[in-house]
Amino acid sequence: MSESIKLGLFTYDVKNGLGLIGYNVDEHEHAHIIVETSKCNDCSHMMCVWGCPAQCYNFRDQGLEEMKFQYEDCVECGTCYIMCDQGAVSWNHPRGGFGITYSQG
Amino acid sequence: MDEETDFDVIIIGAGFAGASTAFQLLKEGIEGDRILIVDRGEPIGSKNLTGGILWGRELDDFEEYLGNWEMDCPGIERAINHKKVGFLSSEDALFVEGRFASWDGTGGTDEPSQRSSWSVLRAKADAWMAEKMEEAGIFVMAGMKIDQLHIDGLDHESYDCRDLTDPAEDSGKGAAQKWKVDNLPKELVEKIRNGTISGIVQDGEVMTSKVVVIAEGSNSVLTRGYHFDSMLHAQSKDDMLLGVKEVIHLGKEKIDERFNCFAGDGERPPSGMAMELALSLYRDMAHDAWEKYPNTKGLYPRCGGFFYTNKETVSCGIIVQLKSLPEGLHTYDLYQAFKEQPAIAALIEGGEAIEYGGHLCPEYGLHRMPHRFTRDGALVVGDAAGLVFANGMQIQGMNNALHSGKLAGKAIAKCIADGDVSAKALDATYTKSLKSSYIFRDLKRFEPATKFLNNPANFTWVPELVGKTANRVFREIGEEKVPAEKVLRQVRKEMRAENKANKKGMGLFGMLKLALMGRKL
Repeated sequence: MSESIKLGLFTYDVKNGLGLIGYNVDEHEHAHIIVETSKCNDCSHMMCVWGCPAQCYNFRDQGLEEMKFQYEDCVECGTCYIMCDQGAVSWNHPRGGFGITYSQG
Repeated sequence: MDEETDFDVIIIGAGFAGASTAFQLLKEGIEGDRILIVDRGEPIGSKNLTGGILWGRELDDFEEYLGNWEMDCPGIERAINHKKVGFLSSEDALFVEGRFASWDGTGGTDEPSQRSSWSVLRAKADAWMAEKMEEAGIFVMAGMKIDQLHIDGLDHESYDCRDLTDPAEDSGKGAAQKWKVDNLPKELVEKIRNGTISGIVQDGEVMTSKVVVIAEGSNSVLTRGYHFDSMLHAQSKDDMLLGVKEVIHLGKEKIDERFNCFAGDGERPPSGMAMELALSLYRDMAHDAWEKYPNTKGLYPRCGGFFYTNKETVSCGIIVQLKSLPEGLHTYDLYQAFKEQPAIAALIEGGEAIEYGGHLCPEYGLHRMPHRFTRDGALVVGDAAGLVFANGMQIQGMNNALHSGKLAGKAIAKCIADGDVSAKALDATYTKSLKSSYIFRDLKRFEPATKFLNNPANFTWVPELVGKTANRVFREIGEEKVPAEKVLRQVRKEMRAENKANKKGMGLFGMLKLALMGRKL
């Protein structure tokens, strides 16, 4: 097992992890995060991609030519707002009662 | 303040800081039906996440409302009497471990006998606290997100909550970033930033109060938007940690057995173990990432690992300094490496993950506090105010949240009684007591320690050096024994020969400097 640590072969199964959380997803018109993905094309670092613990941002790391963002899996941590310095992320909390529902916390 | 308001106090956020403010207000004689506490979670607690350990017995002060919280609150899981700290590299794990009889709180010890540390699951704990608030007569509203603060003489329809925190359409990149709020009329911005706050706006509806308390937690949109924190418009990844964790179900019996815990009885809660580790697991992952993304070559993720036993589950996770995250490494993969380190893997063997999550944690220290804790008619408490003690080994925020809430409750009650809830009056009471409290004294005293513990060395070569040395000192493989000091020198020599970064970092001066800083711990 320690051998794989050295080789850096780790991938967390995010989709499985997210499947363990409860969500009450709001409609698209009320998405709490809005990303102007055209601004992402010139971004040199994609720090939102690396920071987001919920893989809501998919881009060149996944072999994509364009940034693909989805708010549905968001855990509402706020990391992307902090990491983005391209002026692309509009961040607010979801409407009351919507979004993630932790049962353990 | 002749005009009657809907409430005396409206509190935004029903976490520990908000709840503590509410209970303290009751204790100061404010009627429950004059206090409104709102939370965007439904049920309350469902937006909250912690590592986490609650330190101290701050909750005792609310015994009249909470009763025997230690036994009755579902999210207060196990009383920690077993603490481990250490270093984890990809091959070796070295712990310093303590089991402290005085932490059991059963008496008969030289040290003061007291339970003062609990593993906590916040979704459950916050829901229970909300029930207790309702029982005490406080207005509690779940599932309510506050869009705006109500400001005297300002039409809330003249701006949108996103106007305050969004990047501008014509925003530049990096340091040239611009914000929507910069394009709003100056008089409007002046009012938003410095007007008197006298309530909240939700879905276009206004509810007024004499004082508004912002207890939104670490990712506080209102603190940003209403300019308590002058820096939140700038990127603040320099002072933010991201926690990523899983709650893993093992079952109570297995946990009791695996971690040698006291099972609990009618009078005493079950005991538990808390472990915090400096991680140097990521050397090879980082090197791979640097090759693909040379922009951040040399940047090594500074990560701490934590592992706490709850009643039926364990909380297992990492906390990473966002500024230290290199391109090419996903935060959730950093967690996976921790989870699979053999020493950790053994602890969660046979377990099943039941929840995953992420949460920000401010690591402001004194140098990066909000520029003000109060405004006319409002103040900010807990994580929203960045009142977290983090020195790299330990992160304490929940006790600070509870404590700041108490100070706020006392201050607000006094200011309301005096008929003056201006920023000046709130500063003279709340801010003043906050700055002379243990929260600020801790932050001040341990600032040098924080610098030491955040030193990159502690997340790169130190754990490896210590682990390898210990490995050889403790091992017997049929060769002549060598004194520890000699082994240390040998390991250092080998590691320095191994790569350039080690050669530089592990130079005599570098090590001496680190040792000198370490004295301040």
